[in-house]
Amino acid sequence: MKTSDLAGHFGLETIQAEFTDAEISAGYTSDLLSDVMGKAGDSDVLITIQAHKNTVAVAGLVGIGSVIICNARPIPDDMIASAREEGIALFRTPLSQFEVSGQLYAVLHGLSAIPRSDAPVANRA
Amino acid sequence: MKVIADFHNHSCLSPCASLDMSPSLLARQARARGLELVALTDHNSALNAPAWLECARREGLVPLFGLEATSIEEVHVLCLFGTVDEALGFGEYLRVRLLPLPYDRRRLGDQVVVDADEGVVDLPEIYFGAALTLGFDELCAVGRAWDALVIPAHIDRPMFGAISQLGFLPEGPYQAVELMRPADRSLAAGHTVTTGSDAHYPEHIGRRPFGIELPPGWKQADGLADMAILAAALRPELINLPGQP
Repeated sequence: MKTSDLAGHFGLETIQAEFTDAEISAGYTSDLLSDVMGKAGDSDVLITIQAHKNTVAVAGLVGIGSVIICNARPIPDDMIASAREEGIALFRTPLSQFEVSGQLYAVLHGLSAIPRSDAPVANRA
Repeated sequence: MKVIADFHNHSCLSPCASLDMSPSLLARQARARGLELVALTDHNSALNAPAWLECARREGLVPLFGLEATSIEEVHVLCLFGTVDEALGFGEYLRVRLLPLPYDRRRLGDQVVVDADEGVVDLPEIYFGAALTLGFDELCAVGRAWDALVIPAHIDRPMFGAISQLGFLPEGPYQAVELMRPADRSLAAGHTVTTGSDAHYPEHIGRRPFGIELPPGWKQADGLADMAILAAALRPELINLPGQP
Protein backbone atom coordinates (compact mmCIF):
# COMPACT_ATOMS: atom_id res chain seq x y z
CA MET A 1 0.00 0.00 0.00
CA LYS A 2 1.26 3.47 -0.83
CA THR A 3 0.59 6.88 0.68
CA SER A 4 -1.50 7.78 -2.35
CA ASP A 5 -3.78 4.79 -1.65
CA LEU A 6 -4.72 5.95 1.84
CA ALA A 7 -7.30 8.63 1.14
CA GLY A 8 -9.37 6.77 -1.38
CA HIS A 9 -9.42 3.46 0.43
CA PHE A 10 -10.15 4.62 3.96
CA GLY A 11 -12.41 7.55 3.22
CA LEU A 12 -9.92 10.08 4.53
CA GLU A 13 -10.13 13.77 3.81
CA THR A 14 -6.91 14.91 2.16
CA ILE A 15 -5.66 18.05 3.88
CA GLN A 16 -2.19 18.32 2.35
CA ALA A 17 -1.69 16.55 -0.95
CA GLU A 18 1.81 17.66 -1.95
CA PHE A 19 3.79 14.65 -0.76
CA THR A 20 6.35 12.17 -1.95
CA ASP A 21 4.54 8.92 -2.54
CA ALA A 22 6.01 6.04 -0.54
CA GLU A 23 5.31 2.47 0.46
CA ILE A 24 3.57 2.10 3.81
CA SER A 25 4.46 -1.03 5.71
CA ALA A 26 3.10 -0.22 9.17
CA GLY A 27 1.35 2.35 11.29
CA TYR A 28 2.14 3.97 14.61
CA THR A 29 -0.68 5.20 16.85
CA SER A 30 0.17 7.69 19.58
CA ASP A 31 -0.76 11.12 20.87
CA LEU A 32 2.50 11.73 22.72
CA LEU A 33 4.99 13.09 20.23
CA SER A 34 7.88 12.28 22.56
CA ASP A 35 6.79 8.66 22.23
CA VAL A 36 6.51 8.95 18.44
CA MET A 37 10.07 10.32 18.29
CA GLY A 38 11.44 7.32 20.12
CA LYS A 39 9.32 4.50 18.79
CA ALA A 40 7.86 5.13 15.35
CA GLY A 41 9.51 3.72 12.24
CA ASP A 42 10.27 5.48 8.99
CA SER A 43 7.73 3.65 6.83
CA ASP A 44 4.91 4.13 9.28
CA VAL A 45 1.84 6.23 8.87
CA LEU A 46 1.22 8.20 12.07
CA ILE A 47 -2.29 7.94 13.50
CA THR A 48 -2.94 10.65 16.10
CA ILE A 49 -5.20 13.40 17.39
CA GLN A 50 -2.22 15.69 18.02
CA ALA A 51 -2.86 18.39 15.41
CA HIS A 52 0.09 20.72 15.99
CA LYS A 53 2.93 21.80 13.72
CA ASN A 54 5.31 19.85 15.96
CA THR A 55 3.60 16.68 14.74
CA VAL A 56 4.97 17.43 11.28
CA ALA A 57 8.41 18.25 12.68
CA VAL A 58 8.53 14.99 14.60
CA ALA A 59 7.27 13.06 11.58
CA GLY A 60 10.03 14.65 9.50
CA LEU A 61 12.62 13.74 12.12
CA VAL A 62 11.54 10.11 12.22
CA GLY A 63 11.02 9.89 8.46
CA ILE A 64 7.26 9.40 8.60
CA GLY A 65 5.69 10.44 5.30
CA SER A 66 2.02 10.59 6.21
CA VAL A 67 -0.10 11.64 9.17
CA ILE A 68 -3.78 10.87 9.82
CA ILE A 69 -5.52 13.25 12.23
CA CYS A 70 -8.43 11.46 13.90
CA ASN A 71 -11.68 12.55 15.56
CA ALA A 72 -12.01 15.40 13.02
CA ARG A 73 -9.73 17.60 15.11
CA PRO A 74 -9.21 21.09 13.72
CA ILE A 75 -5.83 21.42 11.98
CA PRO A 76 -4.02 24.75 12.33
CA ASP A 77 -2.82 26.47 9.16
CA ASP A 78 0.81 26.47 10.26
CA MET A 79 0.68 22.69 10.56
CA ILE A 80 -0.59 22.37 6.98
CA ALA A 81 2.06 24.81 5.76
CA SER A 82 4.91 22.91 7.38
CA ALA A 83 3.55 19.60 6.08
CA ARG A 84 3.64 21.12 2.59
CA GLU A 85 7.22 22.31 3.11
CA GLU A 86 8.28 18.89 4.34
CA GLY A 87 6.32 16.99 1.69
CA ILE A 88 4.39 15.08 4.32
CA ALA A 89 0.87 13.92 3.49
CA LEU A 90 -1.84 15.06 5.86
CA PHE A 91 -5.21 13.36 6.15
CA ARG A 92 -8.16 13.80 8.47
CA THR A 93 -11.02 11.54 9.47
CA PRO A 94 -13.96 11.65 11.88
CA LEU A 95 -12.98 8.12 12.97
CA SER A 96 -11.07 7.42 16.19
CA GLN A 97 -7.47 6.25 16.35
CA PHE A 98 -8.76 2.76 17.19
CA GLU A 99 -10.95 2.54 14.09
CA VAL A 100 -8.26 3.81 11.73
CA SER A 101 -5.59 1.59 13.27
CA GLY A 102 -7.83 -1.46 13.02
CA GLN A 103 -8.69 -0.86 9.38
CA LEU A 104 -5.10 -0.19 8.40
CA TYR A 105 -3.79 -3.15 10.37
CA ALA A 106 -6.25 -5.49 8.70
CA VAL A 107 -5.20 -4.37 5.24
CA LEU A 108 -1.46 -4.35 5.90
CA HIS A 109 -1.61 -7.84 7.40
CA GLY A 110 -3.80 -9.29 4.69
CA LEU A 111 -6.73 -9.82 7.05
CA SER A 112 -9.08 -8.01 4.72
CA ALA A 113 -9.08 -6.76 1.19
CA ILE A 114 -8.43 -3.07 0.73
CA PRO A 115 -11.90 -1.55 1.06
CA ARG A 116 -13.20 -0.08 -2.16
CA SER A 117 -13.08 3.64 -2.23
CA ASP A 118 -16.80 3.86 -2.99
CA ALA A 119 -17.76 1.56 -0.13
CA PRO A 120 -19.37 3.25 2.88
CA VAL A 121 -16.96 3.83 5.74
CA ALA A 122 -18.16 3.32 9.30
CA ASN A 123 -18.56 6.74 10.81
CA ARG A 124 -19.15 7.20 14.49
CA ALA A 125 -18.45 10.90 14.64
CA MET B 1 17.62 41.60 47.03
CA LYS B 2 17.32 37.85 46.74
CA VAL B 3 13.72 36.65 46.96
CA ILE B 4 12.59 33.05 47.38
CA ALA B 5 9.87 32.39 44.84
CA ASP B 6 7.54 29.55 43.97
CA PHE B 7 5.39 29.97 40.88
CA HIS B 8 3.41 26.71 40.95
CA ASN B 9 0.94 25.69 43.67
CA HIS B 10 -2.55 24.24 43.68
CA SER B 11 -5.40 24.67 46.12
CA CYS B 12 -8.52 22.64 46.89
CA LEU B 13 -10.06 24.14 43.74
CA SER B 14 -7.94 21.78 41.62
CA PRO B 15 -9.78 18.45 41.40
CA CYS B 16 -6.52 16.52 41.71
CA ALA B 17 -5.29 18.43 44.78
CA SER B 18 -5.88 17.55 48.41
CA LEU B 19 -8.89 19.07 50.13
CA ASP B 20 -6.43 20.09 52.83
CA MET B 21 -4.88 22.59 50.40
CA SER B 22 -6.81 25.67 51.44
CA PRO B 23 -5.28 29.01 50.47
CA SER B 24 -4.96 29.60 54.17
CA LEU B 25 -2.86 26.47 54.73
CA LEU B 26 -0.82 27.16 51.60
CA ALA B 27 0.04 30.64 52.88
CA ARG B 28 0.95 29.44 56.38
CA GLN B 29 3.12 26.59 55.15
CA ALA B 30 4.72 28.73 52.46
CA ARG B 31 5.79 31.26 55.05
CA ALA B 32 6.98 28.53 57.42
CA ARG B 33 9.12 27.10 54.62
CA GLY B 34 10.71 30.44 53.79
CA LEU B 35 8.89 31.37 50.60
CA GLU B 36 8.26 35.07 49.88
CA LEU B 37 6.80 35.40 46.38
CA VAL B 38 4.20 32.69 45.87
CA ALA B 39 1.76 31.94 43.07
CA LEU B 40 -1.52 30.09 43.32
CA THR B 41 -2.02 28.24 40.04
CA ASP B 42 -5.10 26.05 39.97
CA HIS B 43 -6.02 24.16 36.83
CA ASN B 44 -7.84 26.47 34.38
CA SER B 45 -9.40 28.60 37.12
CA ALA B 46 -8.50 31.45 39.44
CA LEU B 47 -11.63 31.33 41.59
CA ASN B 48 -9.57 30.99 44.78
CA ALA B 49 -7.55 34.12 43.97
CA PRO B 50 -9.59 36.40 46.28
CA ALA B 51 -8.93 34.08 49.23
CA TRP B 52 -5.30 33.80 48.19
CA LEU B 53 -4.86 37.58 48.33
CA GLU B 54 -6.18 37.74 51.87
CA CYS B 55 -4.29 34.68 53.13
CA ALA B 56 -1.01 35.74 51.55
CA ARG B 57 -1.31 39.24 53.04
CA ARG B 58 -2.01 37.77 56.44
CA GLU B 59 1.26 35.82 56.28
CA GLY B 60 3.31 38.66 54.80
CA LEU B 61 3.79 36.90 51.45
CA VAL B 62 3.72 38.63 48.09
CA PRO B 63 1.04 36.76 46.10
CA LEU B 64 0.84 36.03 42.41
CA PHE B 65 -2.52 35.08 40.96
CA GLY B 66 -2.25 32.47 38.29
CA LEU B 67 -3.74 29.56 36.48
CA GLU B 68 -2.22 26.41 35.11
CA ALA B 69 -3.96 26.32 31.75
CA THR B 70 -4.30 23.11 29.71
CA SER B 71 -3.94 23.43 25.95
CA ILE B 72 -5.85 21.13 23.62
CA GLU B 73 -2.65 19.08 23.23
CA GLU B 74 -2.72 18.72 27.05
CA VAL B 75 0.33 20.87 27.59
CA HIS B 76 0.20 22.71 30.93
CA VAL B 77 1.08 26.41 30.89
CA LEU B 78 1.43 28.71 33.91
CA CYS B 79 -0.15 32.13 33.36
CA LEU B 80 0.67 34.51 36.21
CA PHE B 81 -0.88 37.87 37.06
CA GLY B 82 -0.19 40.55 39.62
CA THR B 83 -3.81 41.20 40.59
CA VAL B 84 -6.89 39.18 41.48
CA ASP B 85 -9.04 40.90 38.86
CA GLU B 86 -6.72 40.09 35.97
CA ALA B 87 -6.56 36.45 37.00
CA LEU B 88 -10.33 36.21 37.41
CA GLY B 89 -10.84 37.89 34.04
CA PHE B 90 -8.50 35.49 32.29
CA GLY B 91 -10.19 32.61 34.12
CA GLU B 92 -13.54 33.72 32.73
CA TYR B 93 -12.04 33.87 29.24
CA LEU B 94 -10.78 30.31 29.62
CA ARG B 95 -13.91 28.93 31.31
CA VAL B 96 -16.01 29.23 28.16
CA ARG B 97 -13.22 27.56 26.20
CA LEU B 98 -13.00 24.44 28.33
CA LEU B 99 -14.07 21.19 26.69
CA PRO B 100 -17.43 20.44 28.32
CA LEU B 101 -16.59 17.10 29.92
CA PRO B 102 -19.00 15.51 32.37
CA TYR B 103 -17.84 16.16 35.92
CA ASP B 104 -18.35 13.49 38.57
CA ARG B 105 -16.72 14.81 41.73
CA ARG B 106 -16.58 11.36 43.35
CA ARG B 107 -14.39 10.07 40.54
CA LEU B 108 -12.52 13.21 39.54
CA GLY B 109 -12.14 14.95 42.88
CA ASP B 110 -13.70 17.93 44.58
CA GLN B 111 -13.34 21.50 43.29
CA VAL B 112 -13.87 23.86 46.17
CA VAL B 113 -13.94 27.65 46.11
CA VAL B 114 -13.21 28.83 49.64
CA ASP B 115 -12.80 32.05 51.55
CA ALA B 116 -9.72 33.01 53.50
CA ASP B 117 -10.95 31.10 56.54
CA GLU B 118 -11.68 27.79 54.81
CA GLY B 119 -15.41 28.47 54.50
CA VAL B 120 -16.90 26.87 51.38
CA VAL B 121 -18.07 29.54 48.92
CA ASP B 122 -18.92 27.45 45.88
CA LEU B 123 -18.61 23.99 44.30
CA PRO B 124 -18.38 24.72 40.55
CA GLU B 125 -20.06 22.14 38.31
CA ILE B 126 -17.74 22.66 35.34
CA TYR B 127 -14.71 20.34 35.23
CA PHE B 128 -11.55 22.43 35.48
CA GLY B 129 -9.34 19.41 34.84
CA ALA B 130 -10.48 19.37 31.19
CA ALA B 131 -8.40 20.66 28.32
CA LEU B 132 -9.16 23.97 26.63
CA THR B 133 -10.11 24.24 22.99
CA LEU B 134 -7.06 26.47 22.54
CA GLY B 135 -3.91 25.06 20.97
CA PHE B 136 -0.63 25.52 22.84
CA ASP B 137 0.66 28.30 20.57
CA GLU B 138 -2.62 30.20 20.71
CA LEU B 139 -2.89 29.76 24.48
CA CYS B 140 0.60 31.21 25.02
CA ALA B 141 -0.14 34.12 22.68
CA VAL B 142 -3.45 34.83 24.38
CA GLY B 143 -1.79 34.70 27.80
CA ARG B 144 0.74 37.31 26.69
CA ALA B 145 -2.02 39.44 25.20
CA TRP B 146 -3.66 39.41 28.64
CA ASP B 147 -0.32 40.57 30.10
CA ALA B 148 0.34 37.33 31.95
CA LEU B 149 3.76 35.93 32.62
CA VAL B 150 3.62 32.83 30.42
CA ILE B 151 5.68 29.87 31.58
CA PRO B 152 5.20 26.38 30.11
CA ALA B 153 5.01 24.11 33.16
CA HIS B 154 7.25 21.11 33.94
CA ILE B 155 8.40 20.76 30.35
CA ASP B 156 10.53 17.79 31.44
CA ARG B 157 7.64 15.81 32.95
CA PRO B 158 6.68 12.55 31.20
CA MET B 159 3.06 13.80 30.92
CA PHE B 160 1.40 17.19 30.42
CA GLY B 161 4.63 18.98 29.56
CA ALA B 162 5.48 20.59 26.22
CA ILE B 163 8.09 17.96 25.44
CA SER B 164 6.03 14.88 26.34
CA GLN B 165 3.02 16.13 24.38
CA LEU B 166 4.72 17.90 21.47
CA GLY B 167 8.10 16.14 21.20
CA PHE B 168 10.08 19.32 21.78
CA LEU B 169 9.44 22.84 23.01
CA PRO B 170 8.06 24.92 20.12
CA GLU B 171 9.30 28.48 19.75
CA GLY B 172 7.02 30.84 21.61
CA PRO B 173 6.66 34.05 23.61
CA TYR B 174 7.53 32.52 26.98
CA GLN B 175 9.14 34.57 29.74
CA ALA B 176 10.57 31.36 31.20
CA VAL B 177 10.07 27.61 31.21
CA GLU B 178 9.62 25.46 34.30
CA LEU B 179 11.79 22.40 34.86
CA MET B 180 11.35 19.74 37.52
CA ARG B 181 15.00 18.73 37.25
CA PRO B 182 16.93 21.90 36.51
CA ALA B 183 20.29 20.13 36.58
CA ASP B 184 19.82 19.51 32.86
CA ARG B 185 18.87 22.81 31.29
CA SER B 186 19.36 21.67 27.71
CA LEU B 187 15.62 20.99 27.36
CA ALA B 188 14.88 24.67 28.01
CA ALA B 189 16.30 25.62 24.60
CA GLY B 190 17.92 28.78 25.91
CA HIS B 191 14.89 30.08 27.80
CA THR B 192 15.15 31.29 31.39
CA VAL B 193 14.46 28.38 33.72
CA THR B 194 12.31 28.48 36.84
CA THR B 195 11.26 25.70 39.16
CA GLY B 196 7.98 25.28 41.04
CA SER B 197 6.68 22.97 43.73
CA ASP B 198 3.53 22.01 41.82
CA ALA B 199 2.13 21.45 45.32
CA HIS B 200 -1.03 19.33 45.39
CA TYR B 201 -0.57 18.16 49.02
CA PRO B 202 0.63 20.07 52.08
CA GLU B 203 3.91 18.14 52.16
CA HIS B 204 4.72 19.38 48.64
CA ILE B 205 4.69 23.05 49.65
CA GLY B 206 8.13 24.60 49.26
CA ARG B 207 9.78 21.54 47.71
CA ARG B 208 11.13 23.27 44.57
CA PRO B 209 11.39 27.05 45.03
CA PHE B 210 13.96 29.19 43.24
CA GLY B 211 15.81 32.37 44.15
CA ILE B 212 15.47 35.53 42.10
CA GLU B 213 17.42 38.78 42.44
CA LEU B 214 14.90 41.65 42.39
CA PRO B 215 15.62 45.39 42.48
CA PRO B 216 14.06 47.79 45.00
CA GLY B 217 10.45 48.56 44.12
CA TRP B 218 9.53 45.02 43.14
CA LYS B 219 7.11 44.95 46.08
CA GLN B 220 4.60 47.75 45.66
CA ALA B 221 3.06 49.81 48.44
CA ASP B 222 -0.10 47.67 48.24
CA GLY B 223 1.99 44.56 48.96
CA LEU B 224 1.62 43.19 45.42
CA ALA B 225 4.41 42.49 42.98
CA ASP B 226 5.36 44.93 40.23
CA MET B 227 4.92 42.61 37.27
CA ALA B 228 7.06 44.67 34.90
CA ILE B 229 9.98 44.49 37.33
CA LEU B 230 9.38 40.78 37.84
CA ALA B 231 9.22 40.07 34.10
CA ALA B 232 12.44 42.00 33.54
CA ALA B 233 14.18 39.97 36.25
CA LEU B 234 13.36 36.61 34.70
CA ARG B 235 16.90 36.27 33.37
CA PRO B 236 19.18 33.30 33.93
CA GLU B 237 21.89 35.38 35.61
CA LEU B 238 19.40 36.67 38.19
CA ILE B 239 17.97 33.27 39.11
CA ASN B 240 19.28 30.63 41.50
CA LEU B 241 17.88 27.20 40.82
CA PRO B 242 17.78 24.35 43.35
CA GLY B 243 21.17 22.66 43.54
CA GLN B 244 23.04 25.81 42.56
CA PRO B 245 25.10 27.80 45.09
